[in-house]
Amino acid sequence: MGLQNVLLFGMVVSAWSAEIPRTPDGRPDLSGVYDIATLTPLVRPVALGERLTLTDAEAIDVAKRAAAFKAATSKSSDPNRKAPPAGGDGSEGASGNVGGYNTVWIDNGSGSFKIDGKWRTSLITDPANGQMPALTAEGKKRAAARAVYARPNRGDAFWIKEGISPGPYDDPELRPVAERCLLSFGSGGGPPMLPILYNNLKQIVQTKDTVMLLNEMVHDARVIRINGQHEPSDIRRWLGDSIGRWDGDTLVVDTTNFNDYPALAGATRTLHVIEKFKRLDDKSLLYSFTVDDPTVWTKPWSGEILWPATNDRIYEYACHEGNYSFTGIMRGARELEAQIEKKATK
Amino acid sequence: MKQIMSSKNWLLAAALGASVLSLVPGQNAFAHHAFGAEFDPNLPLLLKGPVVKVEWINPHTWIHLEVTKPGGKKEIWMVEGGTPNSLLRRGLKRDSLQIGQQIVVDGYQAKDRSNRANGRDVTLADGQKFFMGSSGTGAPYDEPGKDSRK
Repeated sequence: MGLQNVLLFGMVVSAWSAEIPRTPDGRPDLSGVYDIATLTPLVRPVALGERLTLTDAEAIDVAKRAAAFKAATSKSSDPNRKAPPAGGDGSEGASGNVGGYNTVWIDNGSGSFKIDGKWRTSLITDPANGQMPALTAEGKKRAAARAVYARPNRGDAFWIKEGISPGPYDDPELRPVAERCLLSFGSGGGPPMLPILYNNLKQIVQTKDTVMLLNEMVHDARVIRINGQHEPSDIRRWLGDSIGRWDGDTLVVDTTNFNDYPALAGATRTLHVIEKFKRLDDKSLLYSFTVDDPTVWTKPWSGEILWPATNDRIYEYACHEGNYSFTGIMRGARELEAQIEKKATK
Repeated sequence: MKQIMSSKNWLLAAALGASVLSLVPGQNAFAHHAFGAEFDPNLPLLLKGPVVKVEWINPHTWIHLEVTKPGGKKEIWMVEGGTPNSLLRRGLKRDSLQIGQQIVVDGYQAKDRSNRANGRDVTLADGQKFFMGSSGTGAPYDEPGKDSRK
């Protein structure tokens, strides 16, 4: 065999990648359950600039810090402890000055993920600084409007005091879609399907004509029609309308026709997402995505993440039935409003 | 080989540390709902008593316990935890927290004054966490920094 033939043979073998599982019709078999929990964030810490990868030592350091945090929070508490401080415990974000719950419930992985043998600093790869691109003028306007509604509720009916109408708790439909059990938070169900704080399992079921992507949280199921056409633009869906095609061994999924509330924070009905699913071996696939929403971002942005297969099972979610917190939130707002009325009539 | 970290590396470590910590409760903006909207920071609580019921449901688990007030009156309180699915995968079952088991809860009461609280810290009577953290319990990576997934 001459050198040319050896090279040719090598190219054919690498193009076919015979080691990946395949369906009877020869397509890569994507089916299985994947656990995409990871410590690698969507957006890169700003201090890392354009650094896409971590050294082994840095990746171990990240994992050790997370393990140390989990160990510290799993330690026993004082059995004779007192109630937390009146006026709040100072916690920020979703824990809104009252704290959340023990960290045992959290399952965000214990390491970063690796692509092409390198640990990643963020999911976002484009822009090169790992940040989302600049917002458009309309994007900024929407972000400012959203911020009013996303303001922490620290125990006063600020919407009444400041004359914000409608107030963020005036109607159940003004509450975030995750709170209402309509979609997973953090774009877990996507598209793009992103890693979140817990419940990071995805299941792929594949036939010749259809691929189904199931997200554990809120049981979001996306049905991809292979070689299908998009529905008319007046048909709008929570998870968008997804069609797929095979580009060699890569499944390319194109999603449009979102309603006004895509799972991806800040996105609008003009969102267009392209996702690529590529089997790397029988244990993992590479998931990459490009997000374009010209209403919100000045240019498209892209990212990628490894989806490792798992033998774990997805469980049913049944979010609505147990969503007592929602009534608690709405009744809590009514209580705060009643307190203001009471003061006013004194 | 022992490596001495340069100041640049420390900056990197600090940045990554911050990103890791940004993914833990108390500091994250990504959760099913904002606890601050449901519970009142001006109504702190310490509850002690036996578990009477566990609702192992999504989006949040609710643990019910019986609290005896100073005058002897008994009240049932409900305490909000996280989603049960991850714990189920780690082998914990509906009866892992047993009826009658004495627990201690600190948190804040619901704004609507009902007998509900967040399970800010839920422990057994001796202060032990009733479920331990995810390390070594079937979590995706059992060895720090090493991809050991199935």
